[in-house]
Amino acid sequence: MLPLQLGPGQFGDNTLYLLLFYLPFLLFLFYGQRIQAFMILGEVSRALGKLKIMREKSRKEVIDYLVNHLKPKSDPQEQVDQLLEYFTIMPVDLDPSGIVRKIEHVVTVRNDRIRSEIRRLAPETDLVKVSTAENILEAASSINYIYKLVRHFYLLGKRTSNIYILVQLQMIMPMILQEADALVNALEAFKLSQPIGDGIGPMVVGRMMLNHEKMDISKDTVMVKSEYKDRNLYLIKAVGPGGNVGEPGTAVERLISELGVKINSIIMIDAALKLEGEKTGEVAEGVGAAIGGIGVDRFKIEEVATKMNIPLYAVVIKQSLIDAISVMRKEIAEAAEKVTKIVYRLVEEKTQPNDNVLIVGVGNTLGVAQ
Amino acid sequence: MATMIPSIGEKRGKQIVYTIEECLGCGEKNKRTFTVGDYVFKQNGQCKKCSGNILITMIYAEPIKPTQ
Repeated sequence: MLPLQLGPGQFGDNTLYLLLFYLPFLLFLFYGQRIQAFMILGEVSRALGKLKIMREKSRKEVIDYLVNHLKPKSDPQEQVDQLLEYFTIMPVDLDPSGIVRKIEHVVTVRNDRIRSEIRRLAPETDLVKVSTAENILEAASSINYIYKLVRHFYLLGKRTSNIYILVQLQMIMPMILQEADALVNALEAFKLSQPIGDGIGPMVVGRMMLNHEKMDISKDTVMVKSEYKDRNLYLIKAVGPGGNVGEPGTAVERLISELGVKINSIIMIDAALKLEGEKTGEVAEGVGAAIGGIGVDRFKIEEVATKMNIPLYAVVIKQSLIDAISVMRKEIAEAAEKVTKIVYRLVEEKTQPNDNVLIVGVGNTLGVAQ
Repeated sequence: MATMIPSIGEKRGKQIVYTIEECLGCGEKNKRTFTVGDYVFKQNGQCKKCSGNILITMIYAEPIKPTQ
């Protein structure tokens, strides 16, 4: 039987055995944190390597798309690198009053600038290709930013030997990698102008718009007036099939405040990020302004709805982040019919004949016309 | 909390993108693989059965099922 208790009795006077036994304890006592930091550094470094590959791949995709589809007169590499490093300084929020208008202004300037830069590369290209290039560039820009941010914290943790920075980075790394992977997958859908999960709202409203006369209501946004069971329906979505999200906030504001249409109810349809365990393509009803983004459009819709006392109804289609920015899944596409039925039921139940109902399809309308 | 940490979703495997066409006259549906230039609500020719207009009604991705 092997002795379970170790100590001088078992080893005799051999101090070498003693040292070999206690050395790891001493090593971990004094250098444990450094060893742990070394291991975390290795893990984060490998993840950083993956992110670097994704960044290079996305950059190449942007250049390839520009060269093959927009056919610029000069080599676009330098300009692409410039656009990938493009930044937006958000307005100061020390005095938050009126900040939404300032954010709107800054974001509009940013979008216009990027669009004009792409148009400068290829002035004769159609708008669908320009919006597709914008989408690809935006995804590549996000991957580039993720890579740079992770690299920053990795180098900071390494230089200062700060294990707490490295541990935090290690903990969120799987989610960061998944998000970057989702963006890389999105590039494929953008490149081929295939509808993405986020486009389910415009898809539902786009079907309602078929065979009706369209009018521009705000930038990259169209409106249709139709009828359903003696109600006037005002349908709004971004202009497709290019990759636009439009300006639904401005459109709603303009219709109600400028054009003076007395709206009795607003119904918004949008994709919503699901929680783990929820089914993709599940449809849920609720109240409020169903719209994501930076918050400008939501603010405008909530503002005008509150001012005019208009009830806001929301219908959302659940999906994960990957589903929202990748090619639309069958479950999501098939949910469109169910959503349409819910919207018509809401119109029947919540409004009276001769009422004006505003229906907004929110999301990126890539690959979805009207 | 939910909006801060939503479901990122599972990594997608290989998938095929399909285009669903529907005849506005007889309602006949056709499922084919996606080709560049397809988009939802595109008028895509005429029906061979009733000469009605064909409309692309859906474009979606389905995972490739492993063959038995």
